[in-house]
Amino acid sequence: MFHMPVDVIATFNVQGRIKPNYIRLEDESHILQTYKIESIIFSREEKYAGIPVLLFCCNILHGDYMQMINIKYHIKTHQWVLVNEADNEK
Amino acid sequence: MEKIIFHIDVNSAFLSWEAVYRLHILGEKTDIRDIPSAVAGDIKKRHGIILAKSMPAKKCGVRTGDTISDAKNLCPGLLLVAPHYDLYDTSSKAFMEILRDFSPCVEQYSVDEAYCDMTGTIGLYGSAVVAANLIKDKISSELGFTVNIGISSNKILAKMASDFKKPNLVHTLFPNEIEKKLWKLPVEELFYVGHATKKKLHTLGIHTIGELARTDLNILRAHLKMQGEVIYAFANGIDMSVVSSEVPPNKGYGNSTTIAFDVEEVSVAKMVLLSLAETVCTRLRADLVMATVIAVNIVDFEFHHASHQMTLLTASNTTNEIHRAACRLFDELWDGLPIRNLGIHTSKVISGDSLRQINLFDGNRYEKLSKLDIAVDMVRERYGDDSIKRAVFLENRIYHMAGGIPPEKRKAIYKEGIK
Repeated sequence: MFHMPVDVIATFNVQGRIKPNYIRLEDESHILQTYKIESIIFSREEKYAGIPVLLFCCNILHGDYMQMINIKYHIKTHQWVLVNEADNEK
Repeated sequence: MEKIIFHIDVNSAFLSWEAVYRLHILGEKTDIRDIPSAVAGDIKKRHGIILAKSMPAKKCGVRTGDTISDAKNLCPGLLLVAPHYDLYDTSSKAFMEILRDFSPCVEQYSVDEAYCDMTGTIGLYGSAVVAANLIKDKISSELGFTVNIGISSNKILAKMASDFKKPNLVHTLFPNEIEKKLWKLPVEELFYVGHATKKKLHTLGIHTIGELARTDLNILRAHLKMQGEVIYAFANGIDMSVVSSEVPPNKGYGNSTTIAFDVEEVSVAKMVLLSLAETVCTRLRADLVMATVIAVNIVDFEFHHASHQMTLLTASNTTNEIHRAACRLFDELWDGLPIRNLGIHTSKVISGDSLRQINLFDGNRYEKLSKLDIAVDMVRERYGDDSIKRAVFLENRIYHMAGGIPPEKRKAIYKEGIK
C-alpha cells in the first residue's frame, strides 16, 4: 500500500549527480536481499507538496530477468523509498 | 497602462496539501480530495473544529469552523485527518516560490493566498488569461495541488474573481464586467462583509452586491461608519491599494491557547499565562522589538469573552515582566468562572534597541532578566524548545510554551513516518 523505505548504496560525483548502485530490502520471509542496479532509465526531480524528491527509474536483475523499479530519494531527509508498484501504472 | 493584478488562492489548501503528501510521499492510493474528508483538530484537547474540507464534504454541507460532531452529523462517512503544519509551511513556500518566478511583485496575503502584480508581463507570458493558466498548470503539475486565479485591474476585484467557481479555474473580473459578474451575488460574498454586517445590510433592504453598490453612500455611512465607505467602494470595484512585496512590520504580538480542561484555580491560570508570556516574549525578542501595551483575554466555559489591558511604565520583552503585568490584569479581570481559553496580546511595539527609561521600581533586575532571556532563547534555538524550561512546568500537564502551533500538530503522526 505504501512506499517502502529501503537501504541504498549510491555514488555522488563531483558535479553533485547522484547514482544509486545497490538497493537492499527485506523480502516476504524477512531476509535481506541486495539487488544491483543495472541501469538507470531516467531520473527527474519532483516537488509535490513542496517536498523535493529525486525519482530514479531503474532496472535491477531479479533472478534471470530484468525488472524495472522506481526509487525516490528524499533530498531533505536523505531517505530512500521504493515506490509502490501499482504507482507505475498511473 | 492599466494594471493587471492576479489573486491566486489554493483550493482547500490544508486538505489539498495533505492529499498530495499522502499520494506522492506516502504512496497511498486514495486521493482524500475525492472523498468526503476534512482536516480537523483534536476533539480530546477541545480543538475540535473543521479547518479545511474536501469538495465532496462541502456538498454534504460541512463548513470550515464547524465542530467535528456537527460535521459528522451532516456527513457520517467523513474521514478526519490531523493537521500537519510543517507540511503546510513547506507547501506554502514552494507555492510562493513559483509565483515569484513569474512576477517580481508578489504579496503573500496568507499561507495560501497571494497577489501578483502582472502589469507589463504580456511580452513574457502572453495575455493575462494565458499567463494565469500557465501559472495554474505549472503549480498543479509541479506541486500537485490546484489553485484558482482571479484577474483584474485591482486587488479587490481579483480577489472576488478567484472566489467565483472552484476548483482549478481562472476567472476575470475587470471593471466593465462588474455589473454582469459581481452585482448579482449575495452581499455576504463581498470581502469585508461578515455575519454582523450582512444582518445590518439585510435590515436596510440590501441583499445583493449590486444593491449595495447603488445605495446612497450617506446611508451606509450613517449605519456602518467607515466600514460603509469601504464596502461601498468594494461593491463598485474601487480599490486603491497596491500589491506590495514588502512585509509590513507586525503591529502586535499575541498568543492564546484553549486549555484541555476548564481552569478554576488562580495558580493554574497564572501558569498558563506564564507559558503564553514565554511564547509571546520569545517572538518579541526574535524580532528585536519591545511592547508597551499588554492585554489579557479570557474565554470562560460558556464562551463569554472578556479582555483587559494596561500600558507598561516602559516597553519590555522580558518574560518575567510581561508575565507580572499579565497576572495583574488577570486578577483585575477574572470573575472566578471556569476558564476555557486564555490569551496574551501585546501592542504599541517599538524597536528593541531604543533606550530604556530606568525607573525606581525595576531595581537592577531588568538587566539580569533580559540577559537570562537571551541565553534561554539561544539554548532553545540550538537544542529545541523543550531543552530548557522553568521548573514549575516539570511534570506538569501545562505545556511550557503555549500558543501558536503545538509540536504535535507540526508533524503528522502517520504510523511510522514514510511507509
